[in-house]
Amino acid sequence: MNKRSKIKNLLKNQIVILDGACGTELQKKGLPTGACPELWCLANAKKIQDIHASYAEAGAQVIYSCTFGANRFKLAQYGSGENTYQINRNLVRLARQAVGKGVFVAGDIGPTGLFVEPFGPLGFEEAVAAYKEQVRGLIDGGCDLIVIETMIDIQETRAALLAVKETADIFAIASMTYEKDGHTLNGTDPVSALITLQSLGADAVGCNCSTGPEKMLEFVALMKPYAKIPLVAKPNAGVPRLENGKTVFDMEAAAFGAWSEKLARAGANMIGGCCGTTPLHIQELAKTVSGIQPKPPLRKSLGALTSSRSYLLFEENKPLYIAGERINPTGKKALQQEFLEGKTAIIRQMAVEQEKQGAHLLDVNVGQPGIDEVATIKSVIGLLATITKLPLIVDSSRIETIEAALRIYPGRMLINSISGEKEKMEKLLPLAAKYGAMFILLPLIDGEIPHTAERRQAIVKSIYNSARKFGFTRDDFVVDCLVMAVASDSGAGMETLKTVRWCSDAFHGRTILGLSNVSFGMPGRPWMNAAFAAMAQLNGLTMAIANPASAEFMNIKKAGDVLAAREKGALKFIEHFSSVNASANITMPPLKVTASGYVGVQPPTSLDKMTQTIMDGDKESIMPQIEAALKEGKTASSLVDEVMIPAIVHVGDLYEKKIYFLPQLMASAETMKKALGFLEPHLKKAASGNKGKILMATVEGDIHDIGKNIVVLLLRNYGYHVTDLGKDVPARDIMDAVKKENPDVIGLSALMTTTMVKMKEVIDTARAEGIATAFILGGAVVTEAYAQSIGASFAKDGVEAVKVVEKLIKR
Amino acid sequence: MSPVNIFEKISIDPPYKRIYSRLGFKKRTTELPAQQREKTDALIMDALSLITLKGCTLKAIVKKNDGKEVVISDDLIFESIKLARYLRDCNEILLMGATAGSNIMDAIKDKTSQDNLSTAVVYDATASEMTDAALDWLMAYANNQLRRAGKILLPRRFSAGYADFKLENQKNIHGQLEMQKIGVTINSNFLLLPEKSVTAITGIYG
Repeated sequence: MNKRSKIKNLLKNQIVILDGACGTELQKKGLPTGACPELWCLANAKKIQDIHASYAEAGAQVIYSCTFGANRFKLAQYGSGENTYQINRNLVRLARQAVGKGVFVAGDIGPTGLFVEPFGPLGFEEAVAAYKEQVRGLIDGGCDLIVIETMIDIQETRAALLAVKETADIFAIASMTYEKDGHTLNGTDPVSALITLQSLGADAVGCNCSTGPEKMLEFVALMKPYAKIPLVAKPNAGVPRLENGKTVFDMEAAAFGAWSEKLARAGANMIGGCCGTTPLHIQELAKTVSGIQPKPPLRKSLGALTSSRSYLLFEENKPLYIAGERINPTGKKALQQEFLEGKTAIIRQMAVEQEKQGAHLLDVNVGQPGIDEVATIKSVIGLLATITKLPLIVDSSRIETIEAALRIYPGRMLINSISGEKEKMEKLLPLAAKYGAMFILLPLIDGEIPHTAERRQAIVKSIYNSARKFGFTRDDFVVDCLVMAVASDSGAGMETLKTVRWCSDAFHGRTILGLSNVSFGMPGRPWMNAAFAAMAQLNGLTMAIANPASAEFMNIKKAGDVLAAREKGALKFIEHFSSVNASANITMPPLKVTASGYVGVQPPTSLDKMTQTIMDGDKESIMPQIEAALKEGKTASSLVDEVMIPAIVHVGDLYEKKIYFLPQLMASAETMKKALGFLEPHLKKAASGNKGKILMATVEGDIHDIGKNIVVLLLRNYGYHVTDLGKDVPARDIMDAVKKENPDVIGLSALMTTTMVKMKEVIDTARAEGIATAFILGGAVVTEAYAQSIGASFAKDGVEAVKVVEKLIKR
Repeated sequence: MSPVNIFEKISIDPPYKRIYSRLGFKKRTTELPAQQREKTDALIMDALSLITLKGCTLKAIVKKNDGKEVVISDDLIFESIKLARYLRDCNEILLMGATAGSNIMDAIKDKTSQDNLSTAVVYDATASEMTDAALDWLMAYANNQLRRAGKILLPRRFSAGYADFKLENQKNIHGQLEMQKIGVTINSNFLLLPEKSVTAITGIYG
């Protein structure tokens, strides 16, 4: 029996005890600040061996070699990058000497300290190569298993795991570090990490460090329902805190032991300790969990996809999953051009929009003549990994494109597709198995497009039989039931639906359709696609590749989910259509607050509606309302004075009371501005004057101007003539403008304490030149006291600025 | 001094609560119709697609801290009583810098020039909070590295321009962190460009 099988067997019968902290124990033994732990251990072999031995004596069945930071990038910081192999080999040998053959020695691998592409500068292959170098040293040193631990970057973990798998057939554990919010610092949650890593071939997956056992219990409970393999938990001895110049871990050994029992009962199969734990903690742990029957993995297989930041479980009787189809250059000239130029703006927009529109995953196809498809798919996956949480389907007819995507994709992806063609099966099935991907099974074989459902079923079964040889189950693929155009074959839709029904009821597999093919060559395509989707839903369709921007399709799909009992309670349906109806009802908002601030009970007049429109910040509706009011005989000045100004004053009040927040204030102000712009010629005809002239500037040296821009907009709303000099304006320029414009008030803005002093310079210059105009100051660091000290008024925000200006002008 | 650690892509969940709070939203007071919330969330998403968070950190040993100045090296001396007091129990410091990138600033400028301030303010708040959250992330990352050595970062951070720690120090910090490598420059007034860029210092304790 090899070591891997031996460990697997052990895990069937008992909770396996791992060792405790190494770093904090080394400190107690005198590891100096700033020293490299691995090099120090080689120079002080007895000390690390004592730690290993004490853990073994405490009951640890697995001890970790002191090689956590022994990769070439970390060792290079101490001038020892070139000795990576020897350092790892020798440290494993020290561990073995310390504990003998009765205890497993795990070769310990930690992060490089660099993030791996697409999340950082370290190339993926460079990371794999560096880890392989470390793995070779660990294996030649005689380790029994490999532990990849304290990882925060799922891509780096993938690189390390691939390095292990491509080097030796050895038991491999992958363990991530989660923050209190249940995510790694890079945003990966425990379930996504579990699915990704178990698919990629980890023998056990888990979590260590960062939190105490209490929080870790939650992570284990989250992972267990989806685990096909044993789970690992190695918590800290509580959460560290500062005390008298030292970092203290609070949890005593007895309490740690008690929590360990809970971890075991929640489903952890390998338990140890991380920072702050000692041999005493491990002794308590071993004592407490001894005799507890391990909870075996609950799954044999799992239909699920992941990105680095989310997972998608394909479960029975769930709403139809939507794969956004838009990232595909076929028929899209702008996207084709973007691929040729190596740009990403359209892809970025398509990804964000489809996610917003309700896609559950994104189909990505970069197939286009004239581009390097392999380089393009890598770059597109890199981009999408950072801008969307959705898992990806990689759609390509080229094997090398699929292979490149499988290697770089930081999750479990869906291959589109593997057909029954000999070359595809021979090459893609092993690749899918190696990287643990799911695939779309395409029932095509030897150039034949099967027209009948029966023939498609036969091909599905044949491809599945081949896939089983690589360990695939029905959970690992989705059957494309083939959608043909009804324009050329009126029975095509029904054959597809029959295939969907067979897959769902008899074959017990998942299904996918590229919906829009059905309507090819027909008018009214969105409606036909939507109808076909609803029919397929009723036949059990799992997933559709479609355009989530199609309202027809998405609305019918949502209704279909409810009618087919796939969205229990219909909450999403109700929520969606409530909001659609609300947005359609723009002229009659439910709450009628008038400018004078009371809730109206009479039917709203046209002027009430205008008030409401300004309060709602509805820029689209204001113009027709003004035109109608003018036609009714209202004058421009009466609209401004009796409707618009009271409305914006009321908005200002609501903002001051915090009933409105800034975007609402701004939307109302913009609506007002649009209305004023339209009325301006009419106001001139009526010879209406403005309320005063204001000069505004952000002072020299300061480049921040959003606050000043808000004040300018509001002042203009209230009828002031505002000259905006912009940002970073020298005192001299302000003086010149004052002499030219002769304003009633000068407004100055500054965000920084360093630039705030320029305000005094401007005011002093003005006074020295005999300018007596009033100043008003504002900005994040400016206070009323400061403003008064230099002879100016102050306003804390735009609404207050309007009031202060009014007072200054009246004075 | 350690080599500068550059983080090309910092991925974090958007701090929605902080963004809303920056925009003046007050729980139980602000009345936000569902449509307005959806619109604001959509604008935040747009802003996020324009933000590329990058960061850099640098660990250094404190050579001297006499309560008036903190000496890191001959050419890195911070004169500040408040900073010296904050770092008084620390033998090491962590310098950090982060930026939201220039695309978001271009978008804010465009929206402002199109008289679309309601969008600009949401973009601005999102960029500010994301940049601040990037510093939180850099500190959490450093804490993860330090924990094994029984060390921890002081919980808060100090930036040039706070209290008696003059903004001029930002030039030196910017240089030490090699922030030009993440696309950040500094102007003659010691302000970082693009605007949504920050630097900070904290102490390493233990």
